[in-house]
Amino acid sequence: MSSDYEYSDEDGDYYDDELMDEDDQDSAPSEEEMDIDAFDGPIKEKRKAYQVDFITLSKQDVEKAMDENIEYITGLFGIEPEAASLLLRHFEWNKEKVTEKYIDNQSGVNAAAGVSAKTTPPRSATSGPSRSTRRTAPASSRSKKSLSVEGPFVCPICFDDTQTRTLALACSHKFCTECWMAYATNKIKSEGEFKITCMAEECNLVATDSFIQSILTTDPSTFDRYKELLVRYFVSCNRELKFCPYPECAQTVSCPAAASKFALTTIIPIVNCEEQKHKFCFACPIEDDHRPLICTVSKLWSQKCRDDSETANWIKSNTKECSKCQSTIEKDGGCNHMTCKKCKYEFCWVCMGPWSEHGTAWYSCNRYDEKDSIDARDAQSKSRASLERYLHYYNRWANHEQSAKLSMDLYAKTEKKMEEMQLTSALTWIEVQFMRKAVDEVFRCRMTLKWTYAMAYYLQKGNQKEIFEDNQRDLEKAVEDLSELLEQPIDAETIGLLRQKVTDKTVYVQKRNEKVLEDSAAGYLEGRWKWNVTVEGFD
Amino acid sequence: MSGICRTRLAEERKQWRKDHPFGFYAKPTKLSDGSMNLMEWEVGIPGKQSTPWEGGVFKLMMIFPEDYPSKPPKCKFTPALFHPNVYPSGTVCLSILDEEKAWKPAITIKQILLGIQELLNDPNVNDPAQSDAYTMFKNDKVAYEKRVRAQARENIPK
Repeated sequence: MSSDYEYSDEDGDYYDDELMDEDDQDSAPSEEEMDIDAFDGPIKEKRKAYQVDFITLSKQDVEKAMDENIEYITGLFGIEPEAASLLLRHFEWNKEKVTEKYIDNQSGVNAAAGVSAKTTPPRSATSGPSRSTRRTAPASSRSKKSLSVEGPFVCPICFDDTQTRTLALACSHKFCTECWMAYATNKIKSEGEFKITCMAEECNLVATDSFIQSILTTDPSTFDRYKELLVRYFVSCNRELKFCPYPECAQTVSCPAAASKFALTTIIPIVNCEEQKHKFCFACPIEDDHRPLICTVSKLWSQKCRDDSETANWIKSNTKECSKCQSTIEKDGGCNHMTCKKCKYEFCWVCMGPWSEHGTAWYSCNRYDEKDSIDARDAQSKSRASLERYLHYYNRWANHEQSAKLSMDLYAKTEKKMEEMQLTSALTWIEVQFMRKAVDEVFRCRMTLKWTYAMAYYLQKGNQKEIFEDNQRDLEKAVEDLSELLEQPIDAETIGLLRQKVTDKTVYVQKRNEKVLEDSAAGYLEGRWKWNVTVEGFD
Repeated sequence: MSGICRTRLAEERKQWRKDHPFGFYAKPTKLSDGSMNLMEWEVGIPGKQSTPWEGGVFKLMMIFPEDYPSKPPKCKFTPALFHPNVYPSGTVCLSILDEEKAWKPAITIKQILLGIQELLNDPNVNDPAQSDAYTMFKNDKVAYEKRVRAQARENIPK
């Protein structure tokens, strides 16, 4: 199905189709298989094996999708659109669940979702706010509350009896418009809450959109914020949608291929919003382009780095382990005669051998090569091996990130120089742009390299890992070569040669990067990658 | 906004003086110049009869934010109380005092104080705020009650 789609097709029809597909998929158990099929299907010109199909939706597109859901429920039960909207929100925009529960227990569902029963019978009075003035206010304004007073209307919130405009939800709990406005503004602006219940104690009725709008007629910016919160909530409920995580960006990306957990064992859905080109992972909160490593394993790695890196580095450089009980010991002063606090074993900090063999040579250990000392150090090194292994991968991972940042700095400097050269020599703007391309490519490749180290850390030993590391090595070598070229001084005489070299190398590096990404993507599909840890979705 | 806040508090005070539950007291504090500070009230909550809390009147400060009643007041026992739902700072953890939970602008000071009184002998074990009282309440009810009785004795009004 989705193989017919064009990569950047954005017209309305396309989106309608897609939403209908969503309906089908929800009910069809084979959803995941279908997602995979999309990748085996005819590969479009633009999409590589390591890329995914996605489209960008504007706020209006999302609102349209919300309306379609509302229409569906409205049509099914003959209820007001606003009531349908509240029901959908209550059930996280899950139409099937709304349908099922509503048929099951209509009044219970209405109460739980804060929908007034009065608005739900088919074609009843409007669910809009009931507006009244002081003079025409019905006497039965539920003056049960301890603080309300008989006679002219006194708002039970502010006790202002000069207010003439009051509003109440279908529950008829009346309050003055100013109090409503203050309350709703506080909820929307400071709490980011769109579920605004009646102000009366223990009344769970939820304000409808038109009610909120009528409260906020004088403050359209707050109402806009309210609508945005609704859109964001809808997006967060829909597995095929994700809001662009960049601040101030209001675009939504739709990526049905990444909607199921199973699909994420084979694809890494790196997407970008159309307008601003903000790049992010559709399925996880890692901000990087973490290809070629899938989300779940990337998460494991990020977690490990957060928890362990600094600690591990510190342990490595400041501590040793007791040769007897393997307790980690920090030496914070004193001589080399160590006594383990835990097992009371006495040993020499320098050679790690037993102290008893040291005689009186207390401050200068000359027994480094004795057998006992060697054994002790062997045991020590074994227990340190896993730490060393982790640090090996971590340091390379961190180094590529650092280098990527530095290459951007370098570019800033180079760019200045290139500007000067355009003025002082015969070169034109277009002729010096090769630098930009090269730096961009280096940056991209370093991101790939960075995550290949995280991937290699978790890959099981074997031929597949060796091939992976061969590809990694080739790319790394090529990238380092290109980086070195970029560091070279630029002057007018040699720039022609340099340009040739840099351009050639850039093309080569690009190819190596493709190779790594394509091969790892293919590896996921073919089930070639085996992990040395348990990863969800793998055997 | 602050207009609403002060008118409402003045009205709350009026209503309280007209009628309030037995054994309670609630009064706005005084500023250093002797004028009334409506934004901060000193209140006393009596322990319910025939509970280990009986006899004690527990002093609590109510601090009202500028956007009260959109936001709830902060309620803080001074000194901090031995109770599973009272933070070590003395702040009370109760759903009707949480704007993201059950707080509603229509809830009155009287209702808040009655709610806190109710909480004294009916702690919410799903929402512990201090470990001392919580662990004792969970593991040793007898010792817990003894401690509560002692606390009530310490808080008998003079």
